[in-house]
Amino acid sequence: MNAILLLIILLFLSLFWIGKKQGMLTFLGLFLNCFLLFLLITLVNWGFSPLVVLVVMSVLILSVAIFLSTGRSRVLTITWQSAIVVLGFIICLAYLAEYLGYLQGYTLENSDELEGLSMAVGIDFSNLAVIVMVISALGAIAEAAMAVTADLFEVVERTPEISLKNLKKQGQVIGSQILGTAINTLFFGMLGANIPLFVWFFRLHYSLAEFLNAKLLIFEVVTMLLGMLGILAAILVANYLVEHAFAKEGREILNESDIYVD
Amino acid sequence: MQAVIKKAAILLGMALLFFFFGRMDSAFYQQPVGEVLSQKTSFVSDSQDEHGNQDQSYKQTLKVKVINRSNKVVEIENDYLSSKAESSRYRVHDQLLLSKIGSQYQVDMPKRDSLLFGLVALLLTGLYMASGRKKFSYLTLALVFNAMLFLSVVIWDARSRSLPVLALFVILAVLLSAIALVFVLGRTKQAFITWVSTCLATLLALVAMALAMTVTGGAGVHFETMSYVTQVPAPIFYSQAVIGVLGAVMDESGDIVAGLFGMQRESANRTFSEYYKSGLSIGKEILGTLTNVLFMIFIAETIPMVVLMLRNGNNWSYILDQAMNLGILQTVVSALGIVWAVPVTAFLAARRLTKEKEVAK
Repeated sequence: MNAILLLIILLFLSLFWIGKKQGMLTFLGLFLNCFLLFLLITLVNWGFSPLVVLVVMSVLILSVAIFLSTGRSRVLTITWQSAIVVLGFIICLAYLAEYLGYLQGYTLENSDELEGLSMAVGIDFSNLAVIVMVISALGAIAEAAMAVTADLFEVVERTPEISLKNLKKQGQVIGSQILGTAINTLFFGMLGANIPLFVWFFRLHYSLAEFLNAKLLIFEVVTMLLGMLGILAAILVANYLVEHAFAKEGREILNESDIYVD
Repeated sequence: MQAVIKKAAILLGMALLFFFFGRMDSAFYQQPVGEVLSQKTSFVSDSQDEHGNQDQSYKQTLKVKVINRSNKVVEIENDYLSSKAESSRYRVHDQLLLSKIGSQYQVDMPKRDSLLFGLVALLLTGLYMASGRKKFSYLTLALVFNAMLFLSVVIWDARSRSLPVLALFVILAVLLSAIALVFVLGRTKQAFITWVSTCLATLLALVAMALAMTVTGGAGVHFETMSYVTQVPAPIFYSQAVIGVLGAVMDESGDIVAGLFGMQRESANRTFSEYYKSGLSIGKEILGTLTNVLFMIFIAETIPMVVLMLRNGNNWSYILDQAMNLGILQTVVSALGIVWAVPVTAFLAARRLTKEKEVAK
């Protein structure tokens, strides 16, 4: 029996035990996103334009991550809209970072794993670097946008007499709280993904100049920074969109015929 | 509207300021730093590898001004492939770190610190604007403090060769979560319950993985595919799983605990099962998006290698085994931690909230 398969079965059972229907949707979402990533890789491998594939797949991945969650449908719509806007921003930043920083590909440190592989494969690795940066940020963007939107809707629901000005104030408070926790999530995730790389750099006594310029390290740090910028942007945009909807419709934003009740 | 434009201008200004500072710091470098004045690119040849991949190789002749060595102008040759997997195509105005071999200069690596400084400045300015001075200083202090603690453990581990790696990183994880929570929530009861649940849930996930490994004899897990290994890979992998999932579990436990304490403030007369059930329902709403955050980070990293292996004629099942194996395992272990944190937190918080009531009576 395969250890990973065993753990996946355990995950499935745990999700069912704790989440019931919502747990199953979460599991389904992970599977769909796995499939979308395979599709992304396959399409890029077949030579489709990486930018087009990246945009389409990112939109789909965000949709799966957002619409398979519980919540009011209006919350999900606003979350989705915010995530799409931020996606555009992050793609531009990722291209800019790749253009300025030459973050693509491999270096001498990778020689071991590259042994026996042909490197002249005719696919532009700078596009792959952009894809890695953008995909890494997607989860964090969706999470931050969702948290802000859901919390603001709850504020509107709990405070019948709330004014737009007060809502904006609440948005600031909620936004800065979520900023802290979401950035921590990403921060520890990135640290946890890169322990061997850090140990490598210290064990081989890299110089300060290498710490500030070496491709492997800077690529990871830039990926993390873009994710954090994505979180920040998601919080600002989600705040703006909820306030905009509230200014236009007032408490009507709560009244939806198709509230999804778990 | 004007306020928005002003803020955007400040953001852009700070990013550019630090970017250009990065471009002017070459005096601090010991090795020669050059700036490309002009480049001439000539096509060398088409190539086709044994898998039928076509590529083109080019040769660049770069005129480079060595800006921290009396502005001497030298000529450097640079070969690159259009796939750029191990090479880069340089442009005019690029700054490069050079190395001197004999009397000949070579490109060591492009200078990337200006990009790094620019992005850090952009992020910090943005955080400052979005959260105000007090929250900003707490957040950045916690990040810097935790990063330093993490790095010192890494340095300690790198220097000595006989440390119990996993134990070290488990202790580190306990400390990191305590610090992060104290910075966010202060030294409160809420922070304490969140902290205990975080540690417990992470530990459970770790034990589950260790059990699964023992039961199956580690079948299907390829620790040997880990990159940049300088020590036994298995303990390092467990350490990665512990540190990686920490932030997500803290986020989730924090939300549940905050929600349940909020319930108690509204009305203190509730039973254990009321608290426990609400805890579960808060938790299951957020566990999906949190799992996705880590999933994206762990899987995205593997994409270039997967493409490279596909192009080299490997089939998917081999690639899943070799390139994505550990990414998938880390995702699953993290997901287990995130899922189990829900009942653990709900139970501990509900227990605490109802116990207090009994004491009060």
